[in-house]
Amino acid sequence: MIRFPLLLLSLLGLWAGGVFAQQLLDWTPEEIRTVEKHGPWPPSPVRDPSNKVSGTPAGILLGEHLFNDPRLSGDGRVSCATCHQAGREWSDGLARARGTVELDRRTPSLWNIGYLHWFGWDGAGDSLWAQSIRPLLDPREMNGGPARAAELLRGDAALACGYEKAFGSAPGTDDERLLVDTAKALAAFEATLVSPRTPFDDFRDALVAGNREGASRYPLAAQRGLKLFIGDANCNLCHLGPRFTSGEFGDIGIPFFVRPGEVDPGRLGGLGRLAASPFNLLGKYNDDATGNNTRRTRHVQRQHTNFGEFRVPGLRQVGRSGPYMHNGSLATLEDVVRHYSEVSPDRLHSDGIPLVRPLGLTAEQSADLVAFLRSLDAEPLARPRPAPLCP
Amino acid sequence: MKLAVALLGFLLATPAWADCPLDLGRGTGWVIYSDHYLLAFRPDPLRIEVGEPFALVLNVCTKSGEPAELLAVDANMPEHRHGMNYRPDIVAKGDGRFRAEGMLFHMPGRWEITFDVRAGEESERLTHDIILK
Ligand code: HEC
Ligand code: HEC
Repeated sequence: MIRFPLLLLSLLGLWAGGVFAQQLLDWTPEEIRTVEKHGPWPPSPVRDPSNKVSGTPAGILLGEHLFNDPRLSGDGRVSCATCHQAGREWSDGLARARGTVELDRRTPSLWNIGYLHWFGWDGAGDSLWAQSIRPLLDPREMNGGPARAAELLRGDAALACGYEKAFGSAPGTDDERLLVDTAKALAAFEATLVSPRTPFDDFRDALVAGNREGASRYPLAAQRGLKLFIGDANCNLCHLGPRFTSGEFGDIGIPFFVRPGEVDPGRLGGLGRLAASPFNLLGKYNDDATGNNTRRTRHVQRQHTNFGEFRVPGLRQVGRSGPYMHNGSLATLEDVVRHYSEVSPDRLHSDGIPLVRPLGLTAEQSADLVAFLRSLDAEPLARPRPAPLCP
Repeated sequence: MKLAVALLGFLLATPAWADCPLDLGRGTGWVIYSDHYLLAFRPDPLRIEVGEPFALVLNVCTKSGEPAELLAVDANMPEHRHGMNYRPDIVAKGDGRFRAEGMLFHMPGRWEITFDVRAGEESERLTHDIILK
């Protein structure tokens, strides 16, 4: 009579014990070192020597006001925040951006943008401020024209006052200088956009500290996905470091046809535009007299292999953004993982060991990878409205 | 590292190399050699990080004592058959000392660094592998 419940009890005990023991997979010292490299988070604040208002409270505040100001656009209706929306991970949720017309590329998230060295999907910008000039002028985006920012800074009392606080003098008569300063204030603000800590970060810190109990709170599926990510799937060849990007460029076999007969040359085109830009770091608007920050720009080489390469995106907050890729061609994270699982090797024209090859993942492995990617997400703090420029 | 130190000891014991200034200023670095050339180098900064620019500080010597020239420095990943996305410049500092500025390894894994050196008519390529984690 008594035997049955006893048996049940011990079975239950086994089950509970088993689940607990299973909450942490075995992590080798080598794996722990690899996981450690994806942190710590958050990183220390950015200070960009090419931008004299970078990291300054007055520059950041002016930048936030300008970021939300549609008067910078030709028709007075589009601001940076139209496409880079705080509530949408600083993107817009569209496959392709929509300005005055539909663009050929997706709006990238601006999270953690200050830590990069190349900007835009094709790396046409070598500083955050240079990259912030493009949308102001581009007729397909804000279509502001070269004098618009200057006129606004000179004509609006609050902005003029904010400018003086940030740059130390009232807005002058040099329109191009004021365009660059507008972009530098915008960049100072953008560089403060640092994504929140995530379940992955708690796991990483606990694992590195040898805190088994803390580490075992991280779901098993995410642990298995992470093992794949840094192991057999080799994702961290490109998605490396605390931001999960090398900041460089790659070709993972996403089609680069924009429309029949027209291609997006990616990095190859970006390097051409970089060299032609009067606003690159080799030009007169770089505030860093040491020239130390010009090394990448001076030494980068344009090679035929750059054709069809796009910048490796960071993966923090990735599950909350999307659609994915430079052209928004993949709708969900599941689609992204399916792409890496099934990508055609013919498309990847590589003579050596390919960096991306069809992984042939099982349904469980795919779900694990997605679970890991989703553990890089967290709810950001709500943003208070910016303080007035000159109360 | 141990190997490099052992090598250094061996090379210094060979009189022909004895004049070669192997000291790169930080008490560390790699030494590679062929029948004719001896090359000592170290990165600056000392730790190469994936995605971060660095320079190489080098000394190049010849067995004959003839002055040697460093023609080119490059790097590639033999397994993946791709090179760097950056092209370094070489600055001669005199006395067989050089600085190659503008290197960047954009991926972890095995990188093969190649050094083209020349003394007089004959040039030669020396290589060295680095595993970047
Ligand atoms: C019409 C929508 C739109 C507007 C408006 C817009 N952007 Fe963008 N933004 C994009 C798109 C699309 C890209 C990708 C461009 C590319 O790769 O060529 C981008 C790229 C960027 C990048 C580079 C991001 C990265 O990951 O490298 C920055 C920085 C940026 N925008 C800042 C701004 C600022 C500042 C403004 C306002 C002055 C602005 N954007 C206005 C759509 C927009
Ligand atoms: C060879 C370098 C490389 C490897 C290896 C790699 N990626 Fe990527 N990844 C990229 C590039 C480049 C893009 C953007 C491609 C484009 O837009 O055309 C990208 C895009 C993504 C995106 C979409 C992000 C966004 O915001 O659009 C995700 C998610 C992603 N990769 C996850 C992974 C996973 C998971 C793996 C391993 C299975 C992996 N990557 C392996 C280079 C790489």
